[in-house]
This record gives sequence, C-alpha cells and structure tokens, in this order.
Amino acid sequence: MSGAIKKTTGLTGLVVSKAPHHSLGILYDKIMRTLQKMPESAAYRKHTEQLICERAQVLSSTTDINQVEQTIGCGQVEELIVQAENELILARKMLNWKPWEPLCQAAPAGQWDWPPTVSEK
Amino acid sequence: MASLLRQVAKAIRNPQIYNQVGANIGRGFSTGTVRLEKVETRPTVRKYNPLLKTQLTEFGQYVAECLPKYIQKVQIAAGDELELLIAPEGVLPVMQFLKDHHNAQFASLADVTALDVPSRQYRFEVVYNLLSLRYQARVRVKTYTDELTPIESIFDVYRAANWYEREVWDMYGVFFANHPDLRRILTDYGFQGHPLRKDFPLSGYVEVRYDDEQKRVVVEPLELAQEFRKFDLSAPWEQFPNFRKSHKTEEVPIDKK
Repeated sequence: MSGAIKKTTGLTGLVVSKAPHHSLGILYDKIMRTLQKMPESAAYRKHTEQLICERAQVLSSTTDINQVEQTIGCGQVEELIVQAENELILARKMLNWKPWEPLCQAAPAGQWDWPPTVSEK
Repeated sequence: MASLLRQVAKAIRNPQIYNQVGANIGRGFSTGTVRLEKVETRPTVRKYNPLLKTQLTEFGQYVAECLPKYIQKVQIAAGDELELLIAPEGVLPVMQFLKDHHNAQFASLADVTALDVPSRQYRFEVVYNLLSLRYQARVRVKTYTDELTPIESIFDVYRAANWYEREVWDMYGVFFANHPDLRRILTDYGFQGHPLRKDFPLSGYVEVRYDDEQKRVVVEPLELAQEFRKFDLSAPWEQFPNFRKSHKTEEVPIDKK
C-alpha cells in the first residue's frame, strides 16, 4: 500500500484523516502534558502514561501509517485519533474530579447484599 | 397425495418391503441407545469460560485501582458478569472513564434501569449496562439513591441515557439532576405515583371509564368489590435452588486505600 490514497475508512461518519501521523502525535503530546499535572502516585496517570508512551514510540519509530496501525492493533488510524481525543477529554476532566483520592463514601451496611438483608433501623 | 397413499398401501400389502422398513427402524434404535450412553458432565446451556472470567476480574481490579475514590466494590455475578458498585457521587466520572479510556472503550450504553428494595437505607439501586464493541465486553455499573437524593444524569456522556433516565424517573421516581427533559415517558398524562415502587398497589389508585351521560372518559378513585385480602401464593420451598448454587456472586478483591 505504498503511496496509495485511502478513500474511505468504511465507518459511517469517520472521514479519512489528511495528516494522521501529525495529528496523532500532537494529541499524544497533549495527553502527556495533561497527565503530568496529576500526582505521581495516581494509578490512572501511571497506566495511561505507560500506554500513551508505547503508542507514541510506535508512532515515532516509523512514518508508515499501515505499520503503525498493525503494531498498535487497535483499529485504523482515524479510530486511534478518536480514541486519543476521548482520552484527552477524560484526562482534563480527571484533573477536576481527582479520582485518585481515597473512597469518598462507604456503602451503608447491607446496601450490596443480595438477597436483601433486613436492616436494623 | 393420492400416489403417496398408494405407495403406503402397497408397502403394507407386500411383506418383504414391510420387513425392510422394520429392520431400518431397528437399526435406528440401536444407534440411538449408543448415543444415550454418552454422559454429559456439565448439562448447562451457558458455557463456562474461565479466560473471560479472569479478564473481567483483572479489568475490574484495574478500574478499582484507577478510580479508588468512587469504586466501593467489584464483583463477578452469574459466573461471568462484571459488576462495579460505586458511590452515587461517582456516576459521571466512572461513566466517562469507562467510555473514553483507551483500555475500556465502553462506547455503547445498553440499558439504564433501577430496582426498589424498601428495607434499605437507600432504597433504589440504579443499574447501568455498558457494552464495549472494541473489546467485546460488557460491564454493569450499580449505584444507589433514595426518593429525595438526586443522582447525576449521564446524558452528557451518553446521549442514549435521555429516555432511559426518563423511564427510571417515571417508574421509580429517581430524580436525575441536569437531565435536559425529565418528564414521564410510559404512563399517561396526569398520572400520579411511580408504578414500579414496591409500595404502589397492584391495582393502582384510580380507574378510568367512559361515562355515557357526560360523553367523555372519567377518572375516578378506585373502588374494589372486596376488601383487601392477602393471597400468600408462595411455595414453602425454594423454586430454583440449583440456579442459586451454580451462580454465586463472587467478590473481586481490590486494594482499599
């Protein structure tokens, strides 16, 4: 597929990206910058950083988009862009939510019992 | 039709053919007995998939590690169904995480529903079923609320939640905050009450009939011909004990901070 122009992704509403390598790289950079505002110990930051690092390495190792798609193995490059956009939105929202903090509210006794137990209230 | 009958009549008249048919039947039965001797070890319709179960268990632990603020409990129900039990504050973050995170991608909201357990402090359980088309996985998220506490609407995350949440509001009276259009969806105009609550009577509160004199449909308070009587129809034994034994809900251990 050297130099052949991709006409369609075959997925409704998903148009072919004009500069996929460039835009994907920018998105991964943005995600990494957002993640660095989180505390070091946050599990979400650790796991996502690792994942984005792997993908960014694959991306920087080659300019051949087909090879990038095959190595990452998570769909076409347009789908990868959508995934990265979603992750960026999520990471920015996570900065406000701070989900790495300890449990905000423990469940009342018997809340998750099934069959339900009779509470002593 | 007539030719078929003629052939049958010929067969009955001709003893040789009759015997052949009988011999065939005999052979058929003999193979049948051989097949019956095979003993079935797991006579269940649902196939047990240990790989799927391990994957779901690991994914449950992963989510609990990433969002320790909201996840109260993780469990595997019915053998291979992952359930995340979360605090009501965490509905929006957990849903957004499950939808947008690279390793989850639960982009499809299959259903939102609720159940009513009046003996609990928070009587309503709200249940969200999600589907990940990317990883072919399903997950169920459960949270809780009572009659007065509003729960955050997930309309901003999943557009599909619009009508599901209206349905839950209509049937149970769970209030969803920040929902764009929280109206009744299944019951009639001017309906009072929430029909799937346990304290809602089976017959309802009002009855509707066409009045011939007024030439219109009138709504009247319900009058029963008989006083309330309790029919105790439940059997003294459990109906499906095998089901309960085979599918116990297992808790997945998670690190509590």
